[in-house]
Amino acid sequence: MLSNYLTLSVILFSIGIIGVLSRKNIIVIYMSIELLLNAVNISLVAISNTLQSNEGQVIVLMIIAIAAAEAALFMALFVVLFRNKRSLDADIFNLLGEKNAS
Amino acid sequence: MPLDILLNILLLAPFFSALFIAIIALAQPSSPKIIYSILAIFAPLLSAFLALILIYENYFNGIDIHSEIFTWLSVSAFHIPFSLHLDALSSLMLLFVAPVGFLIHVYALGYMKDDSSYPRFFALFNLFMFFMFLLVLGDNPIMMFLGWEGVGLSSYALISFYYEDAKNVAAGNKAFILNRIGDFGFLSALMLLFISIGEYGFSFSTIELHLHEMSAERINLIAALLFVGAMGKSAQFPLYVWLPDAMAGPTPVSALIHAATMVTAGVYMLARFSDLYAMSESVSLFIAYIGAFSALIAALMASREFDIKKILAYSTMSQLGYMFMAEGLGAYSFAIFHVFTHAFFKALLFMGAGAIIMSLHHEQDIRKMGGLRKSLPMLFIMMLIASLSISAIAPLNGFFSKDAIMGHIFASDAYIIYGIALFTSILTAFYMFRMLFFVFYGEEKIKAVAVSKTMIIPIALLAVGVILSGFLNVPSSFGGSESISIWLNLPDIREFLDHTTEFTLIGLNTFFIFVAIFVAYLKYGSATATREDVDKYRYQKIISNKFYIDELYHILFVKPLYKMSKGFDVYINHKIIDSSIHRTIALYYYIASYYRLIYDGSVRLYALFMVFGLSGLFIYLYFALEAM
Amino acid sequence: MLNEVLFYILSALILVSALVLISARRPIDAALSFIVTLVSIAALFALQGSSFLFATQIIIYAGAILALILFIIMFLNIQDKNLPDEPHKKRDITFSTLAVLPFTVVLISLINKSPLVDQALPYDLFGGIKDIGSVIFNDYLLVFELISILLLVSLIGAVSLAKEDKDVK
Repeated sequence: MLSNYLTLSVILFSIGIIGVLSRKNIIVIYMSIELLLNAVNISLVAISNTLQSNEGQVIVLMIIAIAAAEAALFMALFVVLFRNKRSLDADIFNLLGEKNAS
Repeated sequence: MPLDILLNILLLAPFFSALFIAIIALAQPSSPKIIYSILAIFAPLLSAFLALILIYENYFNGIDIHSEIFTWLSVSAFHIPFSLHLDALSSLMLLFVAPVGFLIHVYALGYMKDDSSYPRFFALFNLFMFFMFLLVLGDNPIMMFLGWEGVGLSSYALISFYYEDAKNVAAGNKAFILNRIGDFGFLSALMLLFISIGEYGFSFSTIELHLHEMSAERINLIAALLFVGAMGKSAQFPLYVWLPDAMAGPTPVSALIHAATMVTAGVYMLARFSDLYAMSESVSLFIAYIGAFSALIAALMASREFDIKKILAYSTMSQLGYMFMAEGLGAYSFAIFHVFTHAFFKALLFMGAGAIIMSLHHEQDIRKMGGLRKSLPMLFIMMLIASLSISAIAPLNGFFSKDAIMGHIFASDAYIIYGIALFTSILTAFYMFRMLFFVFYGEEKIKAVAVSKTMIIPIALLAVGVILSGFLNVPSSFGGSESISIWLNLPDIREFLDHTTEFTLIGLNTFFIFVAIFVAYLKYGSATATREDVDKYRYQKIISNKFYIDELYHILFVKPLYKMSKGFDVYINHKIIDSSIHRTIALYYYIASYYRLIYDGSVRLYALFMVFGLSGLFIYLYFALEAM
Repeated sequence: MLNEVLFYILSALILVSALVLISARRPIDAALSFIVTLVSIAALFALQGSSFLFATQIIIYAGAILALILFIIMFLNIQDKNLPDEPHKKRDITFSTLAVLPFTVVLISLINKSPLVDQALPYDLFGGIKDIGSVIFNDYLLVFELISILLLVSLIGAVSLAKEDKDVK
């Protein structure tokens, strides 16, 4: 049943959000974000199959392509951040705050 | 070509030439001067040529030309078309504005030829021509006001033309501010007029038709307010102090704007509204007295002045006084005819003065001049013609117009005004010849340089105009037909003197004038004259200091205003407004110092807030959908 | 029936491995459990007959992206001392869960109210490479091209980001 797929998708999405919120490790945060994308993919494919329409699958394909582009940038970012601070702690990179900006 | 299109071209030619000059000067500053010269001359030439055609049509075929270019404003009842109308009155104005304007443009080519701001001058000069045409040709008071403000603007810009000197800028500001006071009156009058009879339409002809629907008090009020506008523009007491200072501009500007055309706009405006003034006797009489008073004090000040251009400026003000006397006593066509003749002889005087100033290396003080009769004989003859004309010696044009006014004043039984007018007329002859003797007689103190042809030729042409233009309106006592008065068809009050009285008056006037010239000769011209004009008596000192009017205005208006501004600055601005703003800022800063704790720059925290929002939104959504 | 059973098994795998992912201390553990998640999701696609997406998921996600993550983890040579201190991890996870819970619960209950969700999935062979290809190249050609440009841009961006900044040092 479609409802099962959608429920799975929502739960997976929530787990992804929890991961983004609760963890400090930027690599884990990145993978949590990937979880969010995959959760959406699951529901898109299920709906596309139910409605017998290929558009949903095309969107999933695009999402995967974008995820790949994103992965490349993230990896470059990790390298830069780790090189500068020798740490993976997301809370160190808080330059958005007024008092932290240098 | 249809006549209305010719009228449009006449109006727009100077505008576009001003525009092109400005664009070329901005885009290609190094363009050769000849381009500007051609553009600057071509538009006034075209306008003058078209003006003559159109005036011919109006005078001989009696065609009033109307042209509506576009609708400018249309707000329910307030419908203002951008339209032009050429009737007899505007034709007569065009008859001197366009040709004299063209001649002064030619003159300016010579006068300005070494100036670095050559294109700026001609762009503004052409712009002035456009606005002056608009003022004269406008079909409704709004168009007239547009032209009125436009000439004020160009006048301001041209007075401050040499803006490197702060004095000239101050003179421009003075002219602009004093004109604002006048404009306040003019604008208020237009608003009142619109409130009263605006629903019928707002062109001059509809206003004229519905004037009688207003109460007498309303008419008096509008008439008085309109005259305030005229006072400012035409330099009448008490708003005249800007005119002498306006001589800071280049001499062609003084000749065209502050003598021949713009300052007569007030006279023209009163003639435009002559039907209104014909219904308002008390205000008219007031106007006559103001005119007489202005004429008198201007003539007095001119007789103790040493700056050649300022003498002419005061004489302009004095002649404008004559025009207002005439209008106040109901002789609108005589006033307009005096505007017409005045434009010729006053432009001639100014151009002559400019030529003298140029040939003496920018010396304006007449005490330092002298003996120019030998080195500049042509100029001497021209200036003599103009001086005789302004002194009202037959048969030059000044005689016909001024004498008509004097005769009318006498016939209206206004003997006080007549006395003032007669005395002023004598003074006029005195100060003009005082200037003439100072400049052309005695020893030569500065060696004069020859004057260029482009300056002499327009002066000579104008001199011909001075000699001939008077014959256009020969009064009946000389066997003439007063053709211009009949053509203008203004609501004149006609008073007739029998010919004996008239000839007596003319004889008396002429006799006194010759006496005044003789006195001036004895004092300043003859070989034995000392030519030192120091203030011996107390009254001379008062006159030399221009009756302390500028100082009085300074104490009455400028100082209190300055003090008030200072008070506002210290108390209102700093203590109340600024401090309240600063306190508000401090309050926000204080609140923000707590609020800022939430936003410490950790992105994860921001994400948490987002999730709170998301959850809240979904809870709301749930209950909202339940409720459906 | 078999499909249902397979679905539940795969769901359990996905959720468990996702939970392991977000709670793992070391990134290498997280990455390994992420592989399980991704492969299970790919299997879920296969279960629905979307053969092309199944292949793509395996090749790009489980293959390329995860390989990249593992490569970076090893390349950076992350020691335990480089890992952030997370003394309150359990507390953080609990509070985050509470924050997200309304969203999850409400969304699931809203999903179950929709009339569409009662339909059974067809489980036929749908979404083969031919079908998707024809849709992409007929209707979404521009999007496809834009995606390719995006990939190019990210490639250049990644290179310029990771390049050592000589001016600073």
